[in-house]
Amino acid sequence: MKPFLLTTLFSTAVVSIGVAFSPLTFAKETLNVYTYDSFASDWGPGPKIKASFEQECGCELNFVALDSSVGILSRAQLEGKSSQADVLLGLDLNLMEAAKKTGLLAEHSVDTSNVTISGGWSDRFFVPFDQGHFAFIYNAETLQTPPTSLKEVVDNQALRVIYQDPRTSTPGLGLLLWMKSVYGNDAANAWARLASHTVTVTKSWSDAYGLFLKGEADVVLSYTTSPAYHIVAEDETKYQAAMASEGLYPQIEVAAMMKDAPHPALAKQFMQFILQPGFQSTVATGNWMLPVIELDEALPAAFDDAFKPSKNLVLPAAEVAKHRGAWVDEWLNATTR
Amino acid sequence: MFSLRTVKGLLPALLGVGFFLLMGAASLVALLRYSDWHSWLGYMQQPYLWRVVRFSLWQALLSSGISLLIAIPVASCLIHRSFYGRAALLQLFSVSMVVPTIVAILGLVVVYGRSGWLYQLFDIHIPLYGLVGILLAHVFFNMPLAVRLLLQGYDLIPSGQWRQASQLGFSRWTAFRWIEWHYLKKVLPGAFVLIFMLCFSSFAVVLSLGGGPKFSTLEVAIYQALRFDFDLNKASFLALLQVSICTLFAVVVYRIAPVNRQDVSLLAVKRYSLKDSFWAKSADALALLVAFILVIPPFLAIFDPVFSPIFLLTLQSAALWKAVLVSLQIAFPAALVSLLLGVSFCVLARFCMARRYLALLPNKIEHLGNLILMVPGLVIATGLFLFLRDLGWGFQSSYWIVVWVNAVMALPFVLRALMPVMYQQERRFRAVYLSLGVRSWSRWCLEWPLIRLSVAQALGYALLLSLGDMGVIALFGSQGLVSLPLYLFQLIGAYRLEEGACVAVVLILLCLLLFYGSTRFIGGRSLVKH
Repeated sequence: MKPFLLTTLFSTAVVSIGVAFSPLTFAKETLNVYTYDSFASDWGPGPKIKASFEQECGCELNFVALDSSVGILSRAQLEGKSSQADVLLGLDLNLMEAAKKTGLLAEHSVDTSNVTISGGWSDRFFVPFDQGHFAFIYNAETLQTPPTSLKEVVDNQALRVIYQDPRTSTPGLGLLLWMKSVYGNDAANAWARLASHTVTVTKSWSDAYGLFLKGEADVVLSYTTSPAYHIVAEDETKYQAAMASEGLYPQIEVAAMMKDAPHPALAKQFMQFILQPGFQSTVATGNWMLPVIELDEALPAAFDDAFKPSKNLVLPAAEVAKHRGAWVDEWLNATTR
Repeated sequence: MFSLRTVKGLLPALLGVGFFLLMGAASLVALLRYSDWHSWLGYMQQPYLWRVVRFSLWQALLSSGISLLIAIPVASCLIHRSFYGRAALLQLFSVSMVVPTIVAILGLVVVYGRSGWLYQLFDIHIPLYGLVGILLAHVFFNMPLAVRLLLQGYDLIPSGQWRQASQLGFSRWTAFRWIEWHYLKKVLPGAFVLIFMLCFSSFAVVLSLGGGPKFSTLEVAIYQALRFDFDLNKASFLALLQVSICTLFAVVVYRIAPVNRQDVSLLAVKRYSLKDSFWAKSADALALLVAFILVIPPFLAIFDPVFSPIFLLTLQSAALWKAVLVSLQIAFPAALVSLLLGVSFCVLARFCMARRYLALLPNKIEHLGNLILMVPGLVIATGLFLFLRDLGWGFQSSYWIVVWVNAVMALPFVLRALMPVMYQQERRFRAVYLSLGVRSWSRWCLEWPLIRLSVAQALGYALLLSLGDMGVIALFGSQGLVSLPLYLFQLIGAYRLEEGACVAVVLILLCLLLFYGSTRFIGGRSLVKH
């Protein structure tokens, strides 16, 4: 009995200590880029970008994969000045003001004149790296008459809608702003009308999209580029993005470098690299978003339908930052009435 | 009062509990340093906050109540009947609580959803989104847990009582009324509080199946304050609010609940069969049927991807096995730390038992360990990180934070598994040990065969919980630290739902394997029940 007790305890301890100390990651001259997980994953654009940037800089590029774009920012804030991050990659338009306010970011010196975002790009802190528009995705086989405007999504009581919580996800926040730019002061009523045929509001994009693919809703809030994934990767054409005659709200994903970056030179080089073809050509079929510069090579035909919106709605970042709390409250009150 | 030798013997336990308290206090202080008390009054006046609190309480009450109501007859049935697949069912029960929420939700949708099995087979349509969905998910997660906790209560029933019941020709109902209930009602409050807390702070389930912000929990507000706004002030306010509500609730429950007085018997191996009847049979059948319907179909739905060709492809990816390794690298140390902490708590608690001035302490010590459940893991991790950052340790400590927070989060489950048996040992053998002068290590060796099964179960819980953890790893994950649940979320985030489902199967299989392994390896072919 006693020897057996000892062996069990001892071997458990050995196993635990063994796995605890087996090497995780160690590197020398390494550029740390904080990004969200699907960007850095094997099938995302991360590995290709890593390979081509490492060739250029002779350094090592280390992606630190966090769970969401919000996660990137809160991790950087958590670590503060002592952060190991050189570059934050994957914040979006609506998080820019909040990120700037942390005082952790440095101005970049990248020439953004060739950026193809409508209205151009002139931010001193952020370099855009991909773009897309929020859109409701539907299954063409089960939905005969898809909505053609945001108003139809809101008012068609027969339509079962899933979207994300603006308090916990960036697409949800995008919809909040989309609604605000279409409805203005009448947004509260619109939310109430939408709430009466909303199936559910999820924590994150993946929850919502998963439920939609299981057939729980007619439309789900996602991106205009989502159908391209199904076409390219699954050869499936039934998922399509609904038109919105009022215009679409953009999501522009951005990168910024840290003021206290441990490797400022490398960080600068990487910021330049973002607008190079070596980075941009990986965006479409890696991150399923559109590049922000003209590329020599055309995108796969599947992206033809990721249409340019009739009108690009966008609220000024400062206004978004100022009113976000109030607008979220408005949404809360309207949908819990 | 106590000899130096006694104190020396208690030292490791004191150190363990002390370290736990120190770390807890440190992370709390680190968070509170960023607080601004004056703004708290403003938060208190938000009507939405109180609506959320009310709903959180309501759904948690319902969830834990229903889970226990179903669990009682199921546990009774499992005790009295042996049937084919009973052991497998118990293993499955222990795994269900660690299924990643998104996987469980998709599983539930396959069964109860719009075009789900229930609808296809029976044409029954369930309004899944709203309170019903939340309750279904919570019962799926917690009813099996409740069953396991109740079975521990059954373990305390001396075989002499069963023998008598058998000799007197008790029916199942009589036995339940006169024997089982008296033991169950001591376990029920603890189980109720545990499940209540789990449901009160439930987050992903409530958001996904709740239907909208009308059904939201406090945890969402904490998540938002911490992750979206990085508002440490608000986050600490909300976390404190949550802790206060849960504490209040626990205090009330323990006040009105019967005291958990431990009984002496332990080696109750022999089971005496009671008089069987048609009613007993049908009641058992009904209980099992309900349990089956609630737990098995969603599980089958989760395992469904095994039959797709993608499953084999997923198995071949190196990233999967790397994630498995990382998960084990987190789970094993976390489980071991959790077990050490748990043992420290138990040793201290049982030392205090029935001693002058200290007799009040055991319950307090146990509650102290449970307290951790009321604080969101995210808050603990953030506080701890801030604390370590102020000490000058940054990024490199994240692995250990993940391990520690997982260990601490598993502590309540470890305590639930260890405490009853440890108390019992003390009660039964203290006099003998004292008179013979058996202490410390020799005492452990004598006790080992009697407690090893509980130790195995505790370790199993801790392993599984750390393996399935998503909250803390999401905060600190990095490229080298992608655990299995994080990998799963990466896949889903990149539209690869089917591969994600396959990874979920791997995760669950791993959970089953580890739980089975730990009960076999450490629990041994034990004399003790289950």
